[in-house]
Amino acid sequence: MSTAPQTAAAKPDAEPADNEPLVLLELIQRLKVRDVMTGQLVTVPRNATMRQAQELMREKKISGVPVEENGRFFGLISIDDIIRALVAGTIEEACGEHMTTKLVVLEDDMPLSFALRYFDRYRYGRFPVLNRDQQLVGIICQRDINRALLVELTNVLNRLEGSAGPNIVQSGAHSIYVLREFPICKYDFENAGKAANQIKQVLQEKKFPPKIIRRIAVAAYELEINLCVHSDGGVLSWQVSNGRAEIVARDAGPGIEDVEWACRDGTSTANEWVRSLGFGAGMGLVNVKRVSDEFEITSRKGSGTTVRSVIYIGDMP
Amino acid sequence: MTMSEVADVLKADVLVKGDGIGKSVRHVMASDLMSDVLLVDEEDMLLLTSLASDQVLRTAQIVGAVGVVVVNGKPLPSSMVNVANDLRMTLATSRLSKYDACVAVHAALNRA
Repeated sequence: MSTAPQTAAAKPDAEPADNEPLVLLELIQRLKVRDVMTGQLVTVPRNATMRQAQELMREKKISGVPVEENGRFFGLISIDDIIRALVAGTIEEACGEHMTTKLVVLEDDMPLSFALRYFDRYRYGRFPVLNRDQQLVGIICQRDINRALLVELTNVLNRLEGSAGPNIVQSGAHSIYVLREFPICKYDFENAGKAANQIKQVLQEKKFPPKIIRRIAVAAYELEINLCVHSDGGVLSWQVSNGRAEIVARDAGPGIEDVEWACRDGTSTANEWVRSLGFGAGMGLVNVKRVSDEFEITSRKGSGTTVRSVIYIGDMP
Repeated sequence: MTMSEVADVLKADVLVKGDGIGKSVRHVMASDLMSDVLLVDEEDMLLLTSLASDQVLRTAQIVGAVGVVVVNGKPLPSSMVNVANDLRMTLATSRLSKYDACVAVHAALNRA
């Protein structure tokens, strides 16, 4: 039996169906596991007896209890484990001896879409949630997801009632194109790049000059990948007006300690997994700067980062 | 030499015939680092890579590549074909190594 929890970091396999509601899709990408999970945990140490775990589960009306000591996660006691212990006569023995250790766990900064796919794939009732330091920080079950989605959908509906609008607006003699903002989720490589691809397609349809299209597309793509790789998630917004294309990437953290260092050629904090996907060479911001006529970055460690790229496009087509 | 002819030279299976299939290949880039691909300003470029991911196709679309050939006979995730169709990007796969593919394309383009 494996004792190492398997982190659910694999690429999701299912493409969303075209007819799924867009608002719901955006929600499950934007919400993180940590936004949805139960953080106030009921746990038992390894030396607690299976009976103590059973009584705790009955008292708290829960169907599983993590085995944890000082933040370190060892395993999970489920109702199945309790039944097995009752049948085998080991109910007075330590949880550490009978807990389930072959587990799939989620990380707290994964998009909710990962959690949904893993519930679908593994058919487990719950997943333990670990943070970046591999400490147990919560547990997530289907009920948590339903509750969070209902609350968020209500919030979204309230907002939409007052602010519904088209993605593209054209006005006056000079066309102004305003695309909606694209929410970008951390490590969501399934969708990373889609916003930039769409921006390029719109520019091609509007017959902008190819060299201008390429510069705008490169800036948007690099900033989108940066949001996906380095931020805790953010928003890529884009607009063309008055002879300028402006792309803004805004996130809420974790912020950059040394902005000057981050803008240097070849410097990157990307991990090996990101590098194995062909990114994280430390060229992103350098490349955005290269294709921009105006470039600005503001950031503070512990808070968000905003990168703004402006490309002059001359007369509108 | 067109993208279609280059695919023949590489003995490649063309999985998706995109808008660039009949275009002339003017430049070739062989790389697994998409950050490097984004730095190239050449038009009508063929991308040779051993990286089999959706981002290869998204990167190729951004730089206006005529097509992508995944080398080393790497199995492709099914999502790549869907993304290639969405982006109308030519996608092919060749059993040649990246080095051999570079040599073959170089020789063929010189002859053309």
